[in-house]
Amino acid sequence: MSWQRVLALMLRIVRQFRRDRRTLALILVVPVLVLSLLGYIYRGSGEPTRLAVVLQGESPLAPQVIALLEEDSSLHVLVMEREQALQAVDRREVDGVLVLPALPPQPGTRPEVELILEGSQPSAAGAIASAVSRALPQAIIQTMSSSGQAIQLEPRFLHGGPQFDQLDYFAPTFIGFFAFFFVFLLTSVSFLRERLQGSIERLIVSPLDRKEIVLGYMLGFTLFATVQSIVMVIFTVAVLRIHYAGELWLVVFLTFLLTVGAVNLGIFLSAFARTELQVVQFIPMVITPQGLLSGIIWPVDSLPRPLQWLAQALPLTWANEALRAVMIRGEGLDALGLHLMVLIGFAAAMAVLAMVTLRREVA
Amino acid sequence: MGATIVADEVSRTFGPVRAIDRLTLEIPTGVIYGLLGPSGSGKTTFLRMVVGALRPTEGRLLVLGRTMPDRAVAGQIGYMPQTAALYPDLTLRENLAFFGRIYGLRGRKLEDRVEQLVNDLGLLGWLDQQLYRFSGGMLQRASLACALLHQPELLVLDEPTVGLDPVLRRSLWAHFRQLAEEGKTLLISTHTMDEADRCDLLGFLRGGRLLASDTPAALRVQTGQADLEDAFLALAGQPGVPVGEP
Repeated sequence: MSWQRVLALMLRIVRQFRRDRRTLALILVVPVLVLSLLGYIYRGSGEPTRLAVVLQGESPLAPQVIALLEEDSSLHVLVMEREQALQAVDRREVDGVLVLPALPPQPGTRPEVELILEGSQPSAAGAIASAVSRALPQAIIQTMSSSGQAIQLEPRFLHGGPQFDQLDYFAPTFIGFFAFFFVFLLTSVSFLRERLQGSIERLIVSPLDRKEIVLGYMLGFTLFATVQSIVMVIFTVAVLRIHYAGELWLVVFLTFLLTVGAVNLGIFLSAFARTELQVVQFIPMVITPQGLLSGIIWPVDSLPRPLQWLAQALPLTWANEALRAVMIRGEGLDALGLHLMVLIGFAAAMAVLAMVTLRREVA
Repeated sequence: MGATIVADEVSRTFGPVRAIDRLTLEIPTGVIYGLLGPSGSGKTTFLRMVVGALRPTEGRLLVLGRTMPDRAVAGQIGYMPQTAALYPDLTLRENLAFFGRIYGLRGRKLEDRVEQLVNDLGLLGWLDQQLYRFSGGMLQRASLACALLHQPELLVLDEPTVGLDPVLRRSLWAHFRQLAEEGKTLLISTHTMDEADRCDLLGFLRGGRLLASDTPAALRVQTGQADLEDAFLALAGQPGVPVGEP
């Protein structure tokens, strides 16, 4: 084992990166652009959902309901006549119609609240349904309380807070995902090139041994992955003002562990590719399932049980859980023993597989 | 004088194909040994076994006293594959520095070697150019420089002068001769006859079998042909007859 040789290999990889501006941009600029885009999608003000409210008659409840609905900034409330409202929803000018009955009801009728949803866009329908189901009971409680005083519902958050949104929830996992994705892709392409241009043969017959090759690659690529994760952490915290509770160096450290596994997975899988297109074909196999199942968008707990088992076998699931634990709940290394063990185990297993494929180079 | 390479009944198969068939050969130290044969005759397969990139399926192959493949002698062998096999996105200097460092050269010594080789091989103005700008002949020389950097005891060159102009070819052969005089052993594959004539010893390879192995002069006498090409054809015309063995 010679550190001089390992460092020579690492230095070569760093130099190749430095000469490859496009790849540098890919690993440093693209994640920032994607995060900015997500930030804008989640936090920029989009078109509000439009809700028509129809009053069937005098009701002490109605002003309360309308006031509560108007508190929701993503909802635009319009008071309309019944006919007008039904036409509007039909023409998709509004996304839903809420019909409030007269109170007290006409003799011989029951008060009935009607909610008509346009329905072709699930997110608008869902937003209206949840806003209405929140506003109605609250309005009833407020109207019925004898004092006329509103009964306040003030949630108390153990983690996060009232400002905590989807972006805060996603951001920690994006740092891990991007690092894993790019390091896997770049290592497998770079190793494949080594085979295609024949330089791997020069390495195999040189004094470099398999351990040194794997280690050199690991150091070279994790160096860039670490720089990438630092850039992403700084950007999410300083520019996007992502909520964070824990220590940020832990985020970088967890990402580093994850990418050690990704480098070796790349070396291993590149042995099964003959062209760069075939490397790209590994993306739907390796990256997509992890993107869907590792809890980035849908929490692992919410998945069907067989998929939960599958998710437990993916390294990204463990990395995401750990990253969220650190950033959202402020947990430290002591609470993450199992996660660290899984990530280190994955990295070690992949390193062994990478070395096995290198052994086959001397055919 | 010892032998640098000793092959004893060495065979190599790829599936059903016998690329090298029971090859027995001794290459003494300090000579230029030329391996001559048409393409597909097994030259590259044999060279790759000598440098340790390929494992013999049968037989025993000793290089610098070790049974190959053996990493222990890796540092004493210089290998120039048929394709350049360098990093096109890096400059010549960076390529040389990388290969120099993995062979244990560093600092002043590395710089001196780089300077000397770049001078010898006529690449002086190109040190800081990326290799993808190089012509075929320049890549060939860059590749040779990487194989020579660490001053190996055994130099294995796979068709080193393909695509080079006659002037350059001549100067490279002068360089090879000088290395042999310094006591280095060179194993060079070729398919051109004029190069074959410059070797101390010559092996004729066809269909994975060594038809003959001797000095060019002896091969001429043995076949009664003044021309090496005719000598090769004469030998090739009678496959299976072990010519050139004592």
